[in-house]
This record gives sequence, structure tokens and C-alpha cells, in this order.
Amino acid sequence: MNFSALNRRTLLLLAVLIPLLLLLGYVALRTGPLAAVPVTVTTVESHAINPALFGIGTVQARYTTLVGPTVAGRVKSLDVHVGDRVRAGQVLGEMDPVDLDERIRSQRAALLSTQAQLRQAQTQRDFARTQATRYAQLLAAHGTTEELLATRQQELQSAEAALQAAQDAVERARADLAALQAQRSNLKLVAPTAGLVTARDADPGSTVVAGAPVVELIAPDSLWIDTRFDQLTATGLAAGLPARIVLRSRSNQTLAGRVLRVDPVADAVTEETLAKIVFTPLPQPLPPIGELADITVALPALPARPTVPNASLQRVDGQLGVWRVEGDKLQFARVKVLGRDLDGRVQVEGLKTGERVVVYSQRTLSARSHISIVDHIPGVSP
Amino acid sequence: MTGRGIRIEGLKKRYGSGDTAVDALKGVTMQVAPGEVVGLVGPSGSGKSTLLKCLGAVIEPTAGRMTLGNEVIYDDGWKIRDLRALRRDKIGFVFQAPYLIPFLDVTDNVALLPMLAGEPNSEARQRALELLTALDVQHRAKAMPSQLSGGEQQRVAIARGLVNRPPVILADEPTAPLDSVRALAVIRILGDMAKRYQTAIIVVTHDEKIIPTFKRIYHIRDGVTHEEAGEGRGFD
Amino acid sequence: MISLAGRDILHAWGKFVFTGIGLGLLIGVTLVMAGVYRGMIDDAMVLLDNSGADLWVVQKDTQGPYAESSSLYDDTWRGIAAMPGVASANNITYLTMQVRAANHGEPRDVRAMVVGIAPDGPGSAGWPPYLVAGRQITRSHYEAVADIASGFKLGDTLQIRRNRYTVVGLTRRMVSSNGDPMVFIPLKDAQQAQFLKDNEAILQQRRRTAENPAFNRPGVPGLLDAVIASQSTNNYVNAVLVRIKPGYTADEVAAPIRRWKRLTVFTRAQMQDILVNKLIATASKQIGMFMVILAIVSAAIVAFIIYTLTMDKIREIAVLKLIGTRNRTIAAMIMQQALALGLIGFAVGKITATFAAPLFPKFVLLMPGDSIAGFFAVMVICALASVVAIRMALKVDPAEAIGG
Repeated sequence: MNFSALNRRTLLLLAVLIPLLLLLGYVALRTGPLAAVPVTVTTVESHAINPALFGIGTVQARYTTLVGPTVAGRVKSLDVHVGDRVRAGQVLGEMDPVDLDERIRSQRAALLSTQAQLRQAQTQRDFARTQATRYAQLLAAHGTTEELLATRQQELQSAEAALQAAQDAVERARADLAALQAQRSNLKLVAPTAGLVTARDADPGSTVVAGAPVVELIAPDSLWIDTRFDQLTATGLAAGLPARIVLRSRSNQTLAGRVLRVDPVADAVTEETLAKIVFTPLPQPLPPIGELADITVALPALPARPTVPNASLQRVDGQLGVWRVEGDKLQFARVKVLGRDLDGRVQVEGLKTGERVVVYSQRTLSARSHISIVDHIPGVSP
Repeated sequence: MTGRGIRIEGLKKRYGSGDTAVDALKGVTMQVAPGEVVGLVGPSGSGKSTLLKCLGAVIEPTAGRMTLGNEVIYDDGWKIRDLRALRRDKIGFVFQAPYLIPFLDVTDNVALLPMLAGEPNSEARQRALELLTALDVQHRAKAMPSQLSGGEQQRVAIARGLVNRPPVILADEPTAPLDSVRALAVIRILGDMAKRYQTAIIVVTHDEKIIPTFKRIYHIRDGVTHEEAGEGRGFD
Repeated sequence: MISLAGRDILHAWGKFVFTGIGLGLLIGVTLVMAGVYRGMIDDAMVLLDNSGADLWVVQKDTQGPYAESSSLYDDTWRGIAAMPGVASANNITYLTMQVRAANHGEPRDVRAMVVGIAPDGPGSAGWPPYLVAGRQITRSHYEAVADIASGFKLGDTLQIRRNRYTVVGLTRRMVSSNGDPMVFIPLKDAQQAQFLKDNEAILQQRRRTAENPAFNRPGVPGLLDAVIASQSTNNYVNAVLVRIKPGYTADEVAAPIRRWKRLTVFTRAQMQDILVNKLIATASKQIGMFMVILAIVSAAIVAFIIYTLTMDKIREIAVLKLIGTRNRTIAAMIMQQALALGLIGFAVGKITATFAAPLFPKFVLLMPGDSIAGFFAVMVICALASVVAIRMALKVDPAEAIGG
């Protein structure tokens, strides 16, 4: 061995210890709370943005007709199925007349009977009239008493009254018959307008109450989308605005539409504004009723103004604002939001173009934070 | 005597007390002049080691007087307060085995005591180097003890014992592990050192190879010594 | 002057460094344990800080939305927003559940806390206060912001109950008090996810309702539909987050809210107490015990090593004492060796802890204060551990160097 054995040993030991100390120093200064916070910054630019509103809607028919009987009864037959198109006036089905036919026959018989009674009343009246005339002639010829004449005249009057009554009875019987017949024809379920059958609520043989729908029809051209917008984000919603519609089942297709109207009554429980969106034009095949759709209503474009990403907005001490980068210091700038679009851009008041603001940071920032500007936050692959 | 040399009168040492007491030394008298190398010979159990320990101020004798130079260090009680300093400054030790500090190099092993005492390192090392040169091991000055042969280590140990120029050196069986050639070499070295630095050296031994070299021998038996003239044949 | 300890270390540096590394790993584990404890507390603090709230309003007599389940009507916030001192009141829902990532072939199930945030916009209570990528939610449905701890990336499609969400933004350190990553979705979707069931369950429920004669009366045609509709709506949230106007204290705003029936209000300090003391208490006790054990083991190891090193030199120590070395020089040598061992151990431990901390599944927070305290603790332990060896060394009789 040589003289520098000691020195070699020392060197070796230092070779181990010095990196250790350096590592310790690095660890102390670069990690943990003493380290600088990596942030990304962007420059405020003036952009025009296209704000839009987003809501979820359900496809519905504007006009739905419920066809059903006006009296309780049993469904006798239904000739249409769901999905059939029907014309106005088309017979869709029939209710069971039950005893209606019998009641019509009975009413007919009653009518005949009243008519017979009418004839009888007429005969009696004619006879009473003849008698009254004869006795009047007889009285003139002093062939009878006044009392008998009065009696015959009174008989004539009652015969007239009876005749009137019989006529009224005939009228009534006829009216009753007509009513039953009208009902009989009402047993036919008839489509009041042309449409599409969307439901058969009772199959033949079922008993339904008066007013219960048996067949539901919609006017297929009257499809609209009942859309809900969160009230907080529904500023600017108005009739006539263009809309983009994406149906759930056709998510790769964007359809065109328009806001037909904004409902005057909003939903106070769910805090949503309701609006009706129509297709322009109606897509073929028709989307099923009840399908969900994503609606984006385009608001009028806003003029170019200083714009920042919405990731920059933060709230510090109750104030909304952004962190402005000046040199290597941070300063919180309060801003007012003038407009936002759905892609995360926000137009603000309170910043000038060319200023740099923080977009992403690895930790919460404060005015005293040391920052180091990076391209993207370490540990996050975009 | 001019501050060097050692004289012992009537030294007694009793271990234990009462019935189990053992008198290791029963009245030892001896003296060694500066520059002299005397042998202390006796069988095991004769009290050699005890005497050496008393001389080295490692254990306290029971009675007697010890004089180092013209300083009485013991007179029925220690007259010196700091025994450790006494050992450091006034007594040099050479052991059976070198007992060098394994993590210090040869020079530092020799220079250790002066450096611990506060002497500047360079001076201490210089003195150490001189001694190593006198003992002809200077070429090993930077080596570690484990790299030396037995004889070289022993020489370094002797240098360590001499570094503070003590008036007395106590050597305890310094040649026991050595063959006759080396043993004689060690005794020769001790003789040289004694002359050069006017040190009184007491060599405790029962090594037949070196006993003939002493001019004066103290025999010790049953705790008592008596002087004898040795053959003094020297180191041939 | 010569440093005996330094020379000895230099001579046996391999042994020292090796022992130092072993000791260092032990110290590193101890530091990581402390970091786990701090991380758990930080998880709780971060949860409270990130919610951006000054007060939490929850169901009466419950321990808040994090420690216990709480249900409020979702229109409760209106009354609270009108109270004096309230700057804003926001609904929020929390639900810990499995979230599936439904794209790129291999589906992944991640346990996450799904947070439903009211559509007030960035900066509102409950919204992530800062992002690390992407943007905040702009649409009222089907968008999500996820924490990177979940492993989701921008553009991933998540499946939460019956709906699919696109990840539009990423956050960091938004975790529940358990360490589960958070996924933020719009409130209405979250309400649906929390209280509505999957399709099978809904069909079963409809069938049961239809079979119930009380709800399915033929004379009242719309009744069944109305009942089913009422079963499908959900108007509950888990809590209302309140921000206080400047100039008011938390207690003076909370007191009138508490006077309402069926509402409990917690201030920040009370939520901290609940999360830290109640949720974390058991875990922190365990960690505390573990650290004590590690400290004792470390001390024992240092004592043993130093003792062994000293015993190896006991002959030389006897010789040193004999030839006149001071006791305190010998003691200093042993003590310095122990302290050097502690230094190496601490350095290795701190470095190991720093590099191992991010690998743990839960957040490990290494605080400089803990490291400094740990450093002094290590030094003290090493000094005390060397006492055994020092006593041994000083007791050695120098006479033993003289054989026989």
C-alpha cells in the first residue's frame, strides 16, 4: 500500500458523504413547503366569444289526443296499433254496446207506442170537436141544454190537451231514441285529426271508465323538445334563438333547431327554466317520444373583450378574480364576468390585454407564494 | 540523580483483607539509574506484574516509597494528584503485544499522546518521525499497523513509549512472542534508547534468550527482590 | 489535536456507512410514519379548505356531511341565503362510490368521492378552487372534473350510475378525509346518482307501485303516473355550504341558523375538530405507538452498534488509558462516533423518506418541523445510546493492559 492510503480513504468517504449532504440540501430546499409552486400562465387576449346555453330536454308531442268513450263500457274492438298513421275521421275501434241495442229497440217501441197514443188522442180530439160542434148546433136549435154543450166543449179542451201531451210524448220518445242512437254511434272511436297512434291503453275486452283514454294519438309534425335550463345559466334565453340538438340515440348527429318559446312558468322546485325547442327540419325517422336530447342554444356572439380561461377564476377573501403575474410576484386582481362560453372561456372586466394570469397551479396560491412558471404542471400528463 | 532514574524502597502490596489477604509484595527495594537497562526476573506468581503495576502508577501500593528522579511520588500514599498525567509524562510502557491503535497510522500512533496533550500536530509528528528513524522503521511512517510485521510493530510501540522522553520505561515481557534474533534486536534497541535519552528501563521478563544480556538483574520471589549481577553479555 | 472518532470512522468507514444506511432506513420509516399522520390531518384540512366554506349546514343532530350521512331538502339553501351575514349558500352532495372509466378498452374502477356542485360557476363554494389542467364545468349535465389521484385523464368518459360524464378538468389534492380522490359533477346529476337507483331497480319499483291497488285505481287514471313520477324525483342534498360576508364572525352567522329546527351548523373550527379528533383519532394513536416503537428500536440499534464497536477496541482503550489518555478523550471518541452515526442515519433517512413519500397510496406530508425535531431526537438518542458503551469503556482497568 502507499502513502496516500489515508488520503484515498478520506476521498472515498467524502465521495459518499458529500453527495449525501448535497442530496439532503436538495431535499430540504426543493421539496416540501419551502419549494416554489409550479404554475402555468397565459396572456390575456381580446377574443369574441360565442356564449351558449346547455340544457337537457325530452322529445314530446305538442298535441296529444286521447280518444276514449264518453260512458263507461267495455272495449269491443281496436283496429289500430301503435305506430299506425290514421286519417281524420278514421274509425279506430269500437266500444261494446252492451244493452244499448236493446235500449234502442225498446225506445223505438216506446216511440211507436207514443205515436199510437198520439193517433188515439187525435181521434179523441176529432170526436170531441165533432161533438162540440153538433151540440153547439143543437143548442142553437134548442135541442140541448147549455150544460151539455159546456160539457162537450170541456171535453174538447181536454182532448186538445191530451193531444198536445201525446205529441210531446212522441217528441220526447223520438229525442230519447235519437240520443241513444247518437250514443250508439259514439261507441265508435274515431280519430278527430290525422295522427300517429302512440299508445293503446286498453285492449279489447277491458272495461274502462268514462273519459279514460283507449287510444293516444299525436300529431307527428308537432314534435318538440321540452328542455330544462338551470336558472342560473339561462341568461339570454329567448324565443327564436338557434339551437343544436343531439339526440341520445344518435349522439354523432347534430340536428338543427330553434327555440320556439320560453315557458312563462318555470319550475320553482328544481329551479329550472323551461323552454320548447322545435326541429328545423323534423328528422326522419321520427325520434321516439320521451327520448332525451342535449340542447345547446347559441346566444348572440359577444364582441371582442379581454378573455381568460375559466380555470383562472378563483375566489380569494370572498372576491372573484384572477392571479396576475408581475415579474415573479403574484397579485390578485378582482374581475367581473361579462360573458362565458361552453368551452371554458370567460370574458372579464378588470384586466387588460397583454397581462399575464395564472391558469393552473400545483398548490393553492397566496400573495406570498414563490412561483416558478412551467409549461405544464409536473405529474399531470395532458 | 538529576530528575531521572527510579528508586523503590520497601514497597509492599496486599490484596484483600483479613483472612483472605494476599501479600503480593512484601518489601521490594530496587533502583535503576538513568541510561540503565535492568532485568526483573521471576516465576509467575512472584509479584512481577504487581510490581510493574505499582511502578506504573496503575495500582496503589500498600506501603513503601517510590521516587522518580528527585520527586517522591509515593510515600505510604500517593504524593502525586494526577496519576494519569504522571503516566503520560513520566512513564513509558512497552507491552508484550504492541497494542497499536489500529485506526491510526504509525506516525500518529507514536505522536498520539503529545497531540492529545495539545502539542501542535506537526511538532509531535516530527518528534515521532525522529524516533521512528532511530528505530529504523521510518520507511513505515505512513503505513497502518496491520501492514507491519510483528517486529516492526514492536519497534513502533517502543517509539510510542519514548515519545514523551519519560525518565522511566517499563517493559513487560517485550520479547515473549519473538524469536531469539528479534528478541536480541529489541533489547539492543532498548539499550540504545536508554543511552541516548538517559532513560531508566526496567524489563520484566523470563525469556532465557535475553536474560544474559543484562548487566544487572533483580530476582523477585515471593514478593521480595534481591539484586544480582547479570552476565552482561550484551547483544551479540 | 487529533480526532480519534474521525480516524476510527475513516478506518472502518464501510461498517459505519453500512450501519448508517441501515439506521437511516429505520429513521426514514419513522419520518414517513410521521408524514402519514400529517398527511391524514392535511387531507382533512385540505377537504375543509377546498370546499371554500365558512359554515357547514347539515341535518340536525348529525356530525356533518363528511363524518356521517346527512340529508337536507334542496330548497333549504334559500332560507339560509336570506339570513344576515350570509354572502352565499350553495347546495352540495357527497357520495363515496366506485366510478368506472369507460373508454380505451380496459375499464377501470376507482373508488372516489363524487361531489355534486351547484351551477354557480367557478369560485363558488364547493367548486375546485384551482385546476392543474383543462377547465371548470360549464354545462349543467354530463361534465366532470376529476382529481389526478384517481388516474383519470382529460377526455376520459366516466360512468357514474346511469350517466356518462366527460372529464373536462383535473385537480390536485382534492381528496376526501379518507384520501379518496374527488370527482366533481353538476348537482342535479349527483342528486340523481345518489338517490336514484339503476334501471333494474326502477323497473321493479314501478312494477310494485302498479300492483298496489291504492295507487292504481281505475277511476283515477293519472294517479299511478303521478305516484311513479314522485318516486323518481329526488330533492335532497347532503349539506349547504355557507360563505360569510366580511365583517361578520362565524358564530354570529351560525347562531340564527341553528335556531331553525332540524338544522345543525358547524364552523370551520368545529369541522376540524370532528374530522381530526373523531375520524382520525384511532389511526393517529396507532401511528403514535408505532413511532414510539420505532424510536426505541432505533435507540437499541444505535446502542448495540456503538457498544460492539467499543468492545472491539476495548484492549486499545485499556492501553490508551494506561499510557495516559484522559477519560474524557475516550468518552468523547465514543460519543462522537455515535453522533456521526446518527448524522449519517438521519441524512439517509430524510432522503429515503422524501423519495419514498410519493409512492405511498395515501398522501404523506413531510414537514420541515418534523424533520428538525427528528434530527434532534436522533442526536439525543444516539448520545444516550452511547452512554452504555462509554460506561463500559471508562470502567476498564488500565492495569489489564499489563498481562498477568
